[in-house]
Amino acid sequence: MDTSSPAAFVNGGLLRMHVGRKVRTVIQVTRSDAGSVMGKSTDGCQLVVRGSPPAPLTSYVEVIGVAENESSIRAELWTNFGDSFDASNYDQLCQLANGELKHLFL
Amino acid sequence: MQANEFDGNAAFAGGGFMPSQATQTAPDRPSYSSKNSDARCLTPVTVKQLKDLSKVGESGISIDGVDVNNIVLVGVISKIDNAVSDCTFRVDDGTGWVECTKWIHEHVDSVEVDVISVGMYVRVYGQFKSIQSRRPITDFNEIAHHFLECIYVHLYNTKLRPRMTNATDGMTAQPQVANSNSGNHIMGFSHQTNSTNQIRGISSMVLQYLRRPACLASEMGVSSDIVARELNVSVDKVRKTLDFLASEGLVYTTTDDHYKFTDA
Repeated sequence: MDTSSPAAFVNGGLLRMHVGRKVRTVIQVTRSDAGSVMGKSTDGCQLVVRGSPPAPLTSYVEVIGVAENESSIRAELWTNFGDSFDASNYDQLCQLANGELKHLFL
Repeated sequence: MQANEFDGNAAFAGGGFMPSQATQTAPDRPSYSSKNSDARCLTPVTVKQLKDLSKVGESGISIDGVDVNNIVLVGVISKIDNAVSDCTFRVDDGTGWVECTKWIHEHVDSVEVDVISVGMYVRVYGQFKSIQSRRPITDFNEIAHHFLECIYVHLYNTKLRPRMTNATDGMTAQPQVANSNSGNHIMGFSHQTNSTNQIRGISSMVLQYLRRPACLASEMGVSSDIVARELNVSVDKVRKTLDFLASEGLVYTTTDDHYKFTDA
């Protein structure tokens, strides 16, 4: 077992806490280009995700990668999460996972 | 879920060894020391929780003070090694990765294994030493749900369980893992509460007092004055409480102002 590269659950607001570290989040795609994807985080922030997204992209996509700054991520792993996803549920999870229950995750 | 628990108390009841607790209608018994119930529960965990276990040097027997053998994990397959008799794969849930082994005994098993590929999200059921089964995830809300379950169970085990002392609660010892395949997510695990769950404070004190062997043995029951004196509570409050308990069916009146615990 190895936990040397755990990815923190983040939303837009929490991203700044993990700049330079591995993070994971789900965004709702608003625009996608060849080298990057723009999307809305589960708490309504605009985020940019750099990398090569899979094609086709579903509405919601989970990205795991390194946070470059408080609004952009360099993605290593993309996973299509479909078109129906409970964003507020995920958002609550991000808040819990970064709060007093952090020790369960990181 | 806890339907067939071995109930130590019931086995010894009668003969005056222990206060009869036969009136508890819920099958759940608050005997949390019972290993049977815990061993049959399925606990959602994160890989980090498993890793912390190994660090402490335990053999994965308990997490947060609860016996755990069967676990659920949700994560991405990051590596697969397919051999003839077994399949080893690595599941990464974002908090770490763990090697899982699936033993292939029959054709059914190998078919299961063929469906799984690298990069796919799966939910894995198994024992800490070996993995029983897993299936691919199609509704990704399951992932958030699984982690929320981990959080819930952890909080339940560390905060709520220690607080439950005597026989006043009918909550299940371990929340059940529910299969959700719609977008709706309820954090509601099935709590089997019977009426005693509602009773707090004075009521539970009064109830406990009436369940003492001496009180149960007395045919006439106990008068509210005595209860009030013994518990150091005002007679008025005791009377009100006893009225409430009587309306719930937990106690009954024998003669005027004398109460007995319903020992059906």
